Amino acid sequence: MNQEAAPRYELANVTPGFVIIEKEMNTRATRAYFSAESVPPKESYREGTGVWHFAEAAQSFQFSVRDNLNGEVTRFDEVLGLLYYGCLEPGSPLYQIGEIAHAVGVSLYVAIAYESAEGKPLELAAAKMTMLNRAFNDRLRTRGKKVLIVPDLFGLYRQVSHGQLMLDFGLTDLPSESESGKAKSAKEKTR
Amino acid sequence: MKLKEIADKLGLESLTPVPDHEVEGVYISDMISDVIANAKAGNLLVTVQVHANAIAAANLVDLCAIIVAQGKRPADDVLKMAAKARIAVFSTALNRWQVATKLYEAGLR
Repeated sequence: MNQEAAPRYELANVTPGFVIIEKEMNTRATRAYFSAESVPPKESYREGTGVWHFAEAAQSFQFSVRDNLNGEVTRFDEVLGLLYYGCLEPGSPLYQIGEIAHAVGVSLYVAIAYESAEGKPLELAAAKMTMLNRAFNDRLRTRGKKVLIVPDLFGLYRQVSHGQLMLDFGLTDLPSESESGKAKSAKEKTR
Repeated sequence: MKLKEIADKLGLESLTPVPDHEVEGVYISDMISDVIANAKAGNLLVTVQVHANAIAAANLVDLCAIIVAQGKRPADDVLKMAAKARIAVFSTALNRWQVATKLYEAGLR
């Protein structure tokens, strides 16, 4: 019988929940956090001199990576989302790097981390980045295909919109039937 | 079963080139996070999601193709991204349940 070997690393403890975006009234600061509650918390609250208000929520998940060699489980609570290079502006440096990688069969993603209370992205240690890359590459089956997930050394966490992250922000805003109809008629006209 | 065979059996409209991929199971979801967490490499994704992130997620977990149900169509730039990643995208007027039924009837498990 042809039995596949278990991958060394795999996702574990996948916890569904929400990424909550909140805004502070006075400073207009924005920050995100993960909530595993069944309903996204929307209450405003005071923290020091600031008052934080709910702005937006997207379904997401938190996960760990299990090393099947020794059973060790490492949490990846820092990861807010992954950004695919193809979702960036074509002229941007990272897009160009992504294109070079793509030409040799490597798909480039950037791991965007949550921010700390000081407004800086949480650090993803090099060893954890290696583990994250192994976990996703161990899932691949297409011959020659590779995924490279790099830390956000580019400060993208401040530049990209949540819609660019691989989360479920705004993705339930499907085009209306009339819009789909318009697209269909436009296509029919071009035939 | 090969992608082309499935496309023929279900009468799917191909919106990108169709690579000669073998389909290994089906996953049905409209949630990107769910696809990343639970879909398996080689799966065929059935969705109504037309956002670029659906392609990014499909590429990350090595899905072989996406069937966009209910007559939805991704924008041209999204299709270009899919073609580049060698992920076939099909469109059908059928809803997700109908697609699932037909895939089962076609022999996919």
